[in-house]
Amino acid sequence: MTGLGATMVRAGRRLLSSLPALFGVLVFTFLLMRVLPGDPAVFFASGPNAGKEEIEQIRKQMGLDKSVPEQLVFYLSDIGRGNLGRSMMTGQPVLKDLRERLPASLELTFTALLIALIAAVPLGVLAALRPGSVVDHGVRLFCALGVCVPTFVSGLLLIYVFYYLLGLAPDPTGRIDVFTSLPPQRTGFLSIDFLLAGDIEGWWAACKQLILPAVSMALFVIAPLARITRASMLVSLGSDFVRTARSVGLSWRKVVVTYALRNAILPVITIAGIVFSTMLGANVLVEKVFSWPGVASYALDALLSSDYAPVQGFVLLMASLFVLVNLVVDICYGIADPRVSIG
Amino acid sequence: MRFVSFRPASSVLAATALLLIATAPSQAQTRAETLRYVTGASVNTLDPNIPGSTRESFALSMSTYDRLVAFGRKQLNGKWVFDLDKITGELAESYDVSPDGLKLTFRLRKDAKFQDGSPVTAEDVKWSLDRCVTAPILGKAQLLTGSLTSADQFKVIDPLTIEVTLPKPDKLALPNLATVYPMIINSKVAKEHATADDPWATAWLKEHTAGSGAYVIETFKPGEQVIVKRNEAWNRGSPDKPAFFKRVIIQSVPEPATRANLVERGDADLVVDLQASDVQSLEAKGKLKVISTPQYNSITFVSMNNQIPPFDNVNVRRAVAFALPYDDMFKAALFGRGAPLFGASWPDGKPLNGIYPFQQPVKIDLDKAREYLKAAGLPEGFSTTFSFNVGQASTAEPMAALVKESLGKIGIKVDIQKLPDAQMSTQINEKKLPFYTEGIVAWLPSTDYFYRNFYTGNQRWNYSSINNPDLAAIAQEARFEPDKAKYEEAGRKLNAMHFDLMPQIMLWQPNQDAVMASSIEGYTYEFHRQVDYRDVSRK
Repeated sequence: MTGLGATMVRAGRRLLSSLPALFGVLVFTFLLMRVLPGDPAVFFASGPNAGKEEIEQIRKQMGLDKSVPEQLVFYLSDIGRGNLGRSMMTGQPVLKDLRERLPASLELTFTALLIALIAAVPLGVLAALRPGSVVDHGVRLFCALGVCVPTFVSGLLLIYVFYYLLGLAPDPTGRIDVFTSLPPQRTGFLSIDFLLAGDIEGWWAACKQLILPAVSMALFVIAPLARITRASMLVSLGSDFVRTARSVGLSWRKVVVTYALRNAILPVITIAGIVFSTMLGANVLVEKVFSWPGVASYALDALLSSDYAPVQGFVLLMASLFVLVNLVVDICYGIADPRVSIG
Repeated sequence: MRFVSFRPASSVLAATALLLIATAPSQAQTRAETLRYVTGASVNTLDPNIPGSTRESFALSMSTYDRLVAFGRKQLNGKWVFDLDKITGELAESYDVSPDGLKLTFRLRKDAKFQDGSPVTAEDVKWSLDRCVTAPILGKAQLLTGSLTSADQFKVIDPLTIEVTLPKPDKLALPNLATVYPMIINSKVAKEHATADDPWATAWLKEHTAGSGAYVIETFKPGEQVIVKRNEAWNRGSPDKPAFFKRVIIQSVPEPATRANLVERGDADLVVDLQASDVQSLEAKGKLKVISTPQYNSITFVSMNNQIPPFDNVNVRRAVAFALPYDDMFKAALFGRGAPLFGASWPDGKPLNGIYPFQQPVKIDLDKAREYLKAAGLPEGFSTTFSFNVGQASTAEPMAALVKESLGKIGIKVDIQKLPDAQMSTQINEKKLPFYTEGIVAWLPSTDYFYRNFYTGNQRWNYSSINNPDLAAIAQEARFEPDKAKYEEAGRKLNAMHFDLMPQIMLWQPNQDAVMASSIEGYTYEFHRQVDYRDVSRK
């Protein structure tokens, strides 16, 4: 129990020490957005008769009529009060938009990562058990294919086959079929909310929508995970303790799973953490192809139209998530290998 | 070695396939009464007057709010389009225009009710029109084009009559009242939500509706979807009947290929923003109904900044006009889906009529182009950049490549510049781009309106930055010209000047390709270039 308490204290300390970095990200993004060419006011004042007056008005509404340092002070004090500003694009407060969209992105990314891990770890282990064999080459080929095909291509292909040709998948338009009524919102994760509401049919509908985008994302990240599993399994299988375990006649399962895999899993966890953070930000193409209402496509749309507040909010969110993910990865280390402590 | 025989990859695939073998959707009975419309854009406000509102928001507001009057429709080459000249009552039962054209009197329908059941009164109309010309919203600039500028112009005569006074007999006053912005709001409800800072309740109306329109908002998720249900009491369309569809789902699907799949599989009923290549293949398959209407109130240009050298020289502009491979551009960009504005023949060298936009007698003629360049004192050519925005890349990119290739033949070296949308509009507004492609649209397309708004003044929409006092004066005078023959004469003069000065090159009017299930009927091309959900029904 004291071990757990100490871990928590250390985690808290670590979280505090990442605050300066977050602040840096905040200021940097703010300045970056101001430096980018493109005046959001002109872009949004694009009604058929919008003239100078409208542009000025939008500028005022967005606070762009003030000097940059002044804007920064206002922005920081807003952030301090938990206000991320308002999006011109959706007309909603950015915080509300992100709160609605983040669960969609997280649900998709978690599912994709889960699928990827379920596929990649056994694949890597298999390849490591028989290095140079047909299985090993097969895994290598599969991984290479997964990496070469960009996610939007695999996404469009999956849609073409499973939706358009076979008609097995539901239409690729977001998290839930438009005709299904939504469960009361508790976690924001539809698959969990449906279960909590006891609506199995709805849960199934949500899962069906989730499979294709999650698989097309997973295909892309199976490769790094499988390769790292294979490499680290090879090291661990060749080490002294495995030889000893084998020589004392332990069962195959005990040798491979308990001793070799547990020792080999550390680098996989690190990579999984990195892959997760990348996926969350970089799954914009999958989100676009499947009309998934996630944060990444939201940020891209905002960036194209120079809508400052959502982009800043998104970067801040991603930075915070990255800090959290790193923390979780470190804690997982501790569980996988009690010798590791975070500090 | 049990693990060796275990094949995770195939197991995952098998599991996936099992999961995908799905039960069919079970809402078949309401499906026929529901219109599912998919679009690449999204609705971002329920009040189209809010600066920054999208075209989808305009379209939605046509169904959630009524106006005093509405445009009729007419057949153009066998397709239904809105009719600017036929204005019918919507909330107004009838209207009169005084003989001098200075007074418009509207009598309201006695049975018209807001969605909360309270009657529509002349007070509500006055409040709504006052809001449109007073509040800092988009309606102000629009109504200005119809000489509607002040709240004093709207007078309540009795609870069902309202009078609009004009300073001049402006032809565009009445059509302006049928556009998106001057919608009639339930003033009692709106006033309850007005604050001292926001006396016109713009913040509240952005997220809520208080109208009398054909559809009531059910759910509104900005950026994702809007679902509306029918207002059973509404009877302003076909006499005494509500709109056809019980529910309309307006859903954002950013990927154009997915939209094409959805409508082809019958999961979506109607879409108007597919890529030209998809439209062509869907049309060839013949399963769906494709209605292509040239957007006759919009134009795509190649614009040259008349203030920046070398485009300040008229001969350079003429040289460019005769060096563009129009037919190839038309095919590459639009697959020929539109109405060309090039390649006319003017037998006596004069415009055929006074209507703008018109086909100019330009075609590719490199010898002529070289002569013009020589006359401009630039026989060796020059270098320039050609810009377009990312949002239009699918049509502008192939076009830009052709422009570059063809101009290269007469010595004009072109660098292609692809700009993010916000950056492009900023540079256009600051008049910094020498040579680029852009489009325009006018809700109320009349010759003088086009020339006044797109060819005069130091403002954003004057793409070519032309500053010609004669042209401006003729257009300004034509605005209030009651005599049809004289108006036509002014139009001819303007069109002749356009060809002579060649401030920018009109390319074409792209088609609005509406692709719909074969059961959908009544689709009409509207001035806002979106679907009016009240028009359509299912066989």
